[in-house]
Amino acid sequence: MAMRDLVTGGAACAVPGSSSSSNPFGALANAILGSTMKAQDLKGLPESRVTVPTASLDLRPEDQFATIPGSEYENQLYQHADSQNSEFLRGFRSASHGSFEDAWGEVHRPPILPRAGVREIEGHFTEFEQIYDGGVNSNIHQIWDGPPQRVLSSYLHYFVNSDRDRTGFRPTALPALGLSESDKRCIRDRSCIMARHIFADKNEQYINEQVSSFLHCLDIDNNHLIRGPMQGPYAELEEYWNNSQTVLRPTVPHPADSWISEFSQQRASGDPEAWAHSFEKQHGANGWVSEFGQEQAQLLSAGQLGGSNLSSIAAMEQTRMLAHTLAQNNDPKFQNSKFLQFVSKMSRGELIVDDNQIKPATETISGDWANEFHMQYDKKPLEEHFSGELFHGANTWVDEFSKQHRQEEVDDQWVTEFSKLHVQDWAEEFGQQVAEGTFGESTTDRWAEAYDDYLDEQLAAKPKSSASSGVYVFSDMNPYVGHANPLKVGQELFRKGLLSEAVLALEAEVLKNPDNAEGWRLLGITHAENDDDQQAIASMMRAQEVDPTNLEVLLALGVSYTNELEQAEALRYLYKWLQNHPKYKPLASPEQSTSLFHADIARLFNEAAQMSPEDADVHIVLGVMYNVSREYDKAIQSFETALKLKPHDYSLWNKLGATQANSVHSEDAILAYQQALDLKPNYVRAWANMGISYANQGLYEESVRYYVRALAMNPKADNAWQYLKISLRFASRTDMLEACDSRNLDLLQKEFPL
Amino acid sequence: MANSSSRVSLEAGEMPVFKTPFNGYAVRFSPFYENRLLVATAQNFGILGNGRLHIIDLNPAGGISELCSFDTADGIYDCAWSESHDSVAVAAVADGSLKLWDAALPPSSNPIRSFHEHAREVHAVDWNPVRRDSFLSASWDDSLKLWTLDRPASIRTFREHSYCVYSAAWSPRHADVFASASGDCTTRVWDVRDPGSSLVIPAHDHEILSCDWNKYDDCFLATASVDKTVRVWDVRASRAPVATLAGHGYAVRRIRFSPHRESLLMSCSYDMTVCVWDYRTEDALLARYDHHTEFAVGVDMSVLVEGLLASTGWDELVYVWQHGTDPRAIS
Repeated sequence: MAMRDLVTGGAACAVPGSSSSSNPFGALANAILGSTMKAQDLKGLPESRVTVPTASLDLRPEDQFATIPGSEYENQLYQHADSQNSEFLRGFRSASHGSFEDAWGEVHRPPILPRAGVREIEGHFTEFEQIYDGGVNSNIHQIWDGPPQRVLSSYLHYFVNSDRDRTGFRPTALPALGLSESDKRCIRDRSCIMARHIFADKNEQYINEQVSSFLHCLDIDNNHLIRGPMQGPYAELEEYWNNSQTVLRPTVPHPADSWISEFSQQRASGDPEAWAHSFEKQHGANGWVSEFGQEQAQLLSAGQLGGSNLSSIAAMEQTRMLAHTLAQNNDPKFQNSKFLQFVSKMSRGELIVDDNQIKPATETISGDWANEFHMQYDKKPLEEHFSGELFHGANTWVDEFSKQHRQEEVDDQWVTEFSKLHVQDWAEEFGQQVAEGTFGESTTDRWAEAYDDYLDEQLAAKPKSSASSGVYVFSDMNPYVGHANPLKVGQELFRKGLLSEAVLALEAEVLKNPDNAEGWRLLGITHAENDDDQQAIASMMRAQEVDPTNLEVLLALGVSYTNELEQAEALRYLYKWLQNHPKYKPLASPEQSTSLFHADIARLFNEAAQMSPEDADVHIVLGVMYNVSREYDKAIQSFETALKLKPHDYSLWNKLGATQANSVHSEDAILAYQQALDLKPNYVRAWANMGISYANQGLYEESVRYYVRALAMNPKADNAWQYLKISLRFASRTDMLEACDSRNLDLLQKEFPL
Repeated sequence: MANSSSRVSLEAGEMPVFKTPFNGYAVRFSPFYENRLLVATAQNFGILGNGRLHIIDLNPAGGISELCSFDTADGIYDCAWSESHDSVAVAAVADGSLKLWDAALPPSSNPIRSFHEHAREVHAVDWNPVRRDSFLSASWDDSLKLWTLDRPASIRTFREHSYCVYSAAWSPRHADVFASASGDCTTRVWDVRDPGSSLVIPAHDHEILSCDWNKYDDCFLATASVDKTVRVWDVRASRAPVATLAGHGYAVRRIRFSPHRESLLMSCSYDMTVCVWDYRTEDALLARYDHHTEFAVGVDMSVLVEGLLASTGWDELVYVWQHGTDPRAIS
């Protein structure tokens, strides 16, 4: 009851009466309604401009209303019914029973549907009028100011853990994006109540842990969980409850008998807090309180943190329990239930408003071993350890891929091109690498092992081509849909470095204005910085469709395809960039675009660089191109030149770092990444790249910390999860593989603070 | 791009299914038109987000199309048709409000009413089928409220339950009698002319999520509970249930008596199935429909077409089918 007492006082979350939301559905509904209702307008309301409808038989003047017999009865009942005082009721009943009957009888008239006219009334129904006005005026659009829980959550974890960090907390301004108090209350109350229905079989502790960990993820004060429906001071009900405990209970099969007996015992002992005590005992009494007391002192809200620390312990336990429960139910429907996965993800911190990640875990791992390959490819010394069986694995994948391609009939240039061209390229390259490989025995096996496992997993998971097909995949639940100006919000979020959140806002923008090239471009850039090249490419393709000559878009596509090791595509877009550039247009002859050779393009860009050595972009493109051809020293030179012109371009620092890492200058790379991160602390890609650099230097444990940091900022960076897994194996931390598989960021962050 | 399609109109020969953008919460057949239904939905499983009420029509060809829809700033947990106006519907909104829309009016004059008295989520509404001028709301603030369209405030509040009230059901015979089901593990029977409840049935030892009256025998009442069972009660002898229907694997979310056959019941559950029961027969479970892929939370039986059933669930689908046929079958 304690928790509910808290909330029964306040109204629920939304503004009363503001019924319409301004999301596109709302707009669409209005559009549809507007047209479908026209005919009926005429029938229903001759003057269809209904601002103040006339004729009000229904709402009697205020004074009359106040004297309705029975209304005072209602008030008294309101105040006293809870007391359940039978004597009072008896007396009361005889006193005014009749008057209510009058009221009820009075209202029993032929129903007239009121067409309002409230505004004509001079009464004091101010509240009602407000509500009514709000309701009537459908032009008032209520925006569900979407709580970017994911970001918020990551930040809180970051904050809480930062005390133990060597680097300390970077005061990254927490944006004013938080859940409102009423949102929190909604989530807390509703999840508490729903959990009780859904986890009917589970004991109280389980339910509470389930809820706490979920709430914890949203940073909602969960010190006031409902302990059970029967906390009321009603002797009558207590009796029923006790009866049901002792008499009826055995008739209902219940798996948690031990809990029941424990609970009844405590009920019997008459100590309503007994349960709480036992819970505390189980969780080491108030140990956590003192343990974290120091931290609390430094924080804004001691209570809040206290709650979250307790629940973070519960969260770990609970995740296992949930996984266990789900695994136990063999019904494939439950295995596939989006809701249960939703709950499970929420409890793991992947959160309530998640994207189309609400899918079976096998799918979220997603089918692009291309990324994996890419990653290993980056690690020159290691890639050479692949054995013949890997080759075999690759072929299998190719078959699989083309099979699926046929099945899905995705008429998609990229897929076609990909399956025809690049797989073979890779295969050849693979063979070459294997052939000329020089092996370090000890690591070979582990790599092969890790990679085999990975391949098995991928094959088992049936690669989904949609993610890698160049088709943009939108998030399912997007709080920014319906926002008045999502582009502006997106730009702001991007500027603040809240990339995952910016993605949502920008998606809302391009849903609203699919022809906004800038929206698509920024979305692409955001994805790229958030370490998701597939989505980045898909966005940029859309941007390019809208605005085929946008230089930034063309350059970005060139870079993204380079990252995805798709040389031909990369060259094509870089060439287009040149073709469309006002200054360098003359350099590009149209006939050349059909047969693009790397050397030719490189020559063209060198010419361009000579033409205007002060143009950083040309140097950037050159750097990218030398990356394609793996002339890393030249690439580094180009980027360094560009950086002299644009020293504050964080993405340029990252490019330099990536190139240095590729050219086995991983120590230098770390310095470059650090520059990028100093300029943009939330640059997920740079954090992940930092991890790669450490891994390249054999500092696996160190690399894990950076991957985890990157993932805390963007849990959807699938590549980083794979890197993390491999680094964990190398660091001989296989004990944490489970946490990695279940994407338990809480645990990982705790284990590997930065 | 799941959220770009706000409605799906199905053509002839396609499945009699309606896809809602949000998670389904309730479905109700119109008492006026045999082909019209009301569907209540909520975003994010009703935990946070918007809501939408759909009015949908079954096409003669076999598909389902949307007539119109209404948006709310919070999820809609339940809905009911007006018994007096064929175009009016009421929705139980999670923000504690009740909203009424008239589909015959233009969007600018909708909703026609918005009542906000409940301190917490409104979980159920039921329109009085006898008097036809009033409806009840049941809320997580432990109370029920009685409303009419022509008053700006509720006529009465019924406060006896000590936990969330999940369901309210008017008696189909008596204008003033209704039943309520609550998380306090009791079902109560009320007469609005009396100050307090006239009967308390400790019907289950877990929360009770739904109740409904028998449409032929005014003494019989069914309750559905988190304990996975449905129980049928005789209010004249409420010490023990007349029947206990076991068969659902999780909490039973909603129960409805058939308007056509006295002992027929329909239920849906968190086990994702919809069941049809005859509580008078030994093997009470007549049919189990397994068509939903998430929790099934809304069911209804048509008053105008015997055997026509509807269900909705968190898989964002509304099914309408004839009892005995496969809901997923092509019509």
